[in-house]
Amino acid sequence: MGRITRRYGFTIAGIAIGVAGIVALGAMGERIVRFIEGGDRFVLGQISVAGKGMGMGAGFTAGGMLPASAIRAIAAVPGVSGVQAQVMLPLNPSTSQFMTLTQELILGVDLSVPSPNRQFPTLPIREGRQLRAGDRGVAVVGASFATSHGLRVGSALTLEGEAYRVVGVLERTLTAPDRFVMVAIEDARRQWVAKDRMLRTIIASGAAAVNAADLNTGAAVGWRDGEDPDAVARRITERVEGVNVQIPSELSALLRSSTAFFSALLGGIGALAFVIGGLSLANTIAAAVFERLRDFGVKRALGATDWQLGREVLAEALAVTLSGGAVGVALAILLGASVDRWAARSGQQLFLFSGRLLGGALVFSVLLGAAAAAYATLRVVRLSPAEAIRRGA
Amino acid sequence: MLEARGLVKAYATPRGKPPLRVLDGVDLCVAGGRLAVVLGASGSGKSTLLNVVGLLEDADAGEVTLGGERVSALGRSARSRARGRYVGFVFQSFLLLPSLTALDNVLLAARYAGRAGADARRRARDLLAQFGVLERQAHYPPQLSGGEQQRVAFCRAVLNDPPVLLADEPTGNLDDANGRVILDALRARARAGAAVVVVSHRADAAGGADAVYRMRDGRLESERAVHQGGTR
Ligand SMILES: Nc1ncnc2c1ncn2[C@@H]1O[C@H](COP(=O)(O)OP(=O)(O)O)[C@@H](O)[C@H]1O
Ligand SMILES: [Mg+2]
Repeated sequence: MGRITRRYGFTIAGIAIGVAGIVALGAMGERIVRFIEGGDRFVLGQISVAGKGMGMGAGFTAGGMLPASAIRAIAAVPGVSGVQAQVMLPLNPSTSQFMTLTQELILGVDLSVPSPNRQFPTLPIREGRQLRAGDRGVAVVGASFATSHGLRVGSALTLEGEAYRVVGVLERTLTAPDRFVMVAIEDARRQWVAKDRMLRTIIASGAAAVNAADLNTGAAVGWRDGEDPDAVARRITERVEGVNVQIPSELSALLRSSTAFFSALLGGIGALAFVIGGLSLANTIAAAVFERLRDFGVKRALGATDWQLGREVLAEALAVTLSGGAVGVALAILLGASVDRWAARSGQQLFLFSGRLLGGALVFSVLLGAAAAAYATLRVVRLSPAEAIRRGA
Repeated sequence: MLEARGLVKAYATPRGKPPLRVLDGVDLCVAGGRLAVVLGASGSGKSTLLNVVGLLEDADAGEVTLGGERVSALGRSARSRARGRYVGFVFQSFLLLPSLTALDNVLLAARYAGRAGADARRRARDLLAQFGVLERQAHYPPQLSGGEQQRVAFCRAVLNDPPVLLADEPTGNLDDANGRVILDALRARARAGAAVVVVSHRADAAGGADAVYRMRDGRLESERAVHQGGTR
């Protein structure tokens, strides 16, 4: 390998740059794909219900208030296996709500019932513990939230002037929960009232009889095994008044169409990266063969058959492609890591170096390197040895 | 033993002029144990003849027999193997691979003949020692003088003990002393039983030859034949 590196330093560098380009752009694509897929899995794992009407509150379900009576009514709909009341509040209401999925949110959940989401029965914990029934004044935070706010298990966290202690940090999911602060719903309700001046006015005026248990922005609804989630969602719409029900497949389609532009953009960038990186790789390999045209002529004069030469070229191309590929992958990861260190300060992660991306890029490189080597060899052995020696001189 | 009959080779010329008939019906027979020298002006077709005889280039017509096998009729891979089996080449510009050491350049000949191994290594070292370049075995060609490079190239040409040895202006890039070393070595190979053809534009290469030919107008003329020992 040492000799290969000496002889093919420039070739390896050329390949490394091509592969690094493929991998870095691919990793940005993977990052977005994971985000979109994660969101999709989440919305397909539950029926999301929000209150209709007043337009208070915000967040994922972006609805009004969902009173306790509605939650009871939903639970009674045939096919429903469980309902978990939630309060979802934007942590910083002044930021644009253009992409709520990337917003920092407080999620209060009713810890007395299990999460009905089939895809995420629990969110995986990296450090510390999950929330449990009876918890007050404690929070489990998403990975990005923890990074950008400098939090770890045991850290103190102040939300709307109230002190919380971090008891758990979630695994990075590359989706919405990375930016969540999860607390008990009772804590979230207090936050909501503190935040929402209109809500305080309504409660104070007694214009509506509002109990603490009515203060929900929405609910996650699960379905029984064998039920069609879309059908259950439609049934809820029919049977329960004053609720906004998201049909899982429609929400998924909406999510996909709203991210379609980004998907297409990244698909295009990724494809371009593969084409450009691939061309540069193939060109580098072929050039390395043509550059030694004379050597091939000499080898054939010494009795090398096409097959022997082909094997030699292939072995060298593989060694060169693999070393170049490894260097390229390392370069891309180094680059991604340093960019992400900078991005992490705002809780972002731009690159995802997934196994399938790295494996795919290497397999692609090796196949292309082999194809380029085979092509170049075929071209070379079509010349007579004398011609190869003459042209290579 | 080397036998070529009725070789014709023409090169296309630009602007629709008639093709250049470099070889226009050439016969050449060199028996094992004999040294033939082909003289001729530059551009007379000497290299072309050697390339065709050594299967480095296809003739338009004619046939080549090496060691009793009609090699000109073989397919490409079989011709490659025949080159490795029957022919050793010595070129004017040495043609060592710059990326390989002197020793590895010599061993290249064994690799394609499927004979790489301890025996080939030993023989390669013996040859390098015989030509006074053993202490250069780990050097790369650019680190060697022209004379040293040609000695290494000669070792490579004879490593497999080929029955035919073809040398195209082997002394063209050498000083007189080094040129003598190579010409002596070629004569020694002939004495050891190989059919040796040396091509040169310099008449002094003909010293000690068993036969001297001259290329002229695409034909090979016999200049002088020294009959001694067996025919052909
Ligand atoms: N590949 C080629 N294409 C066209 N013409 C060639 C080619 N090789 C040789 N020639 C021509 O054929 C003639 C003989 O060349 P060559 O055999 O190299 O002569 P010599 O070795 O006697 O100097 C020259 O005129 C040369 O220009
Ligand atoms: Mg010549």
